[in-house]
Amino acid sequence: MIPDLTRAVGVPRLAGISYPLGRPLGSPHDHDGQRAVLRALLEVLPRATDPDTYVELPFVWPDTPAHARNESRDIPPSPIVELVMRKPWLLPNLYSGRIPRREEEVCAS
Amino acid sequence: MSIDSYRFLDFATRQVMKAWASRERADVIPFTPLTKPLNECTVALVSTAGIACQGDRPFDQERERRDPWWGDPSFRVIPMGTTEADVRVCHLHIDPRFAQADLDVVLPMRRLTELAQQGVIRQAAARHYSIMGYILEPDVLVHETAPAIAERMHADGIDAAALVPA
Repeated sequence: MIPDLTRAVGVPRLAGISYPLGRPLGSPHDHDGQRAVLRALLEVLPRATDPDTYVELPFVWPDTPAHARNESRDIPPSPIVELVMRKPWLLPNLYSGRIPRREEEVCAS
Repeated sequence: MSIDSYRFLDFATRQVMKAWASRERADVIPFTPLTKPLNECTVALVSTAGIACQGDRPFDQERERRDPWWGDPSFRVIPMGTTEADVRVCHLHIDPRFAQADLDVVLPMRRLTELAQQGVIRQAAARHYSIMGYILEPDVLVHETAPAIAERMHADGIDAAALVPA
């Protein structure tokens, strides 16, 4: 889903697909589409002979990113997004992965 | 690379994901070659969509709301045959409604069974798994949760597993 990040972390075998979050196998009730993605994903297994194998799956989401995001526009932001919107000085912590101590959160930089 | 990892992400999420990708350095990557053809394999699935069976403890969203830097690092067993009617999808960073309409969108157990019927794999596992994908500090996930899942897969004779991100 975000193969750049997964490849940076390093996994034995990776199948890359550009589908919206929440729908990695495809759309609800699209059984043929889901089965095709799953089959392509599993078929990476016998093809991989070394770690860090990366295969890009040939599936294209049939809609624009804007429309895909728009379908979920009424989902509220996650707690971490809400926190960083309220306390933007914490954004560097989110980028760096350095979890702040509680007293750091209440002090503006 | 032709796949755009960030195509469907909003601007802010895109920036965070790029920052994380740029600071990660892969360690030694474990690798066990597949020793039999795929059509002789028993396959299990792991979803990061935070799926919990109705009778099971849900993933702890309240604690994440209280401490947004924390994400529930535990796992749940999802038996083959479980449907969207039998589970809760506990994930505050994705739209759970697609999985709630059709669980195979995130944990394709029925599709896996069909692939077994078609002879692509030998068998779909009796037990599948879910974790919740927002975990900034992965210590518990790596040292407790992953080994616990692996132990169960080993007991079930699983030959290969696919981790499906939500």
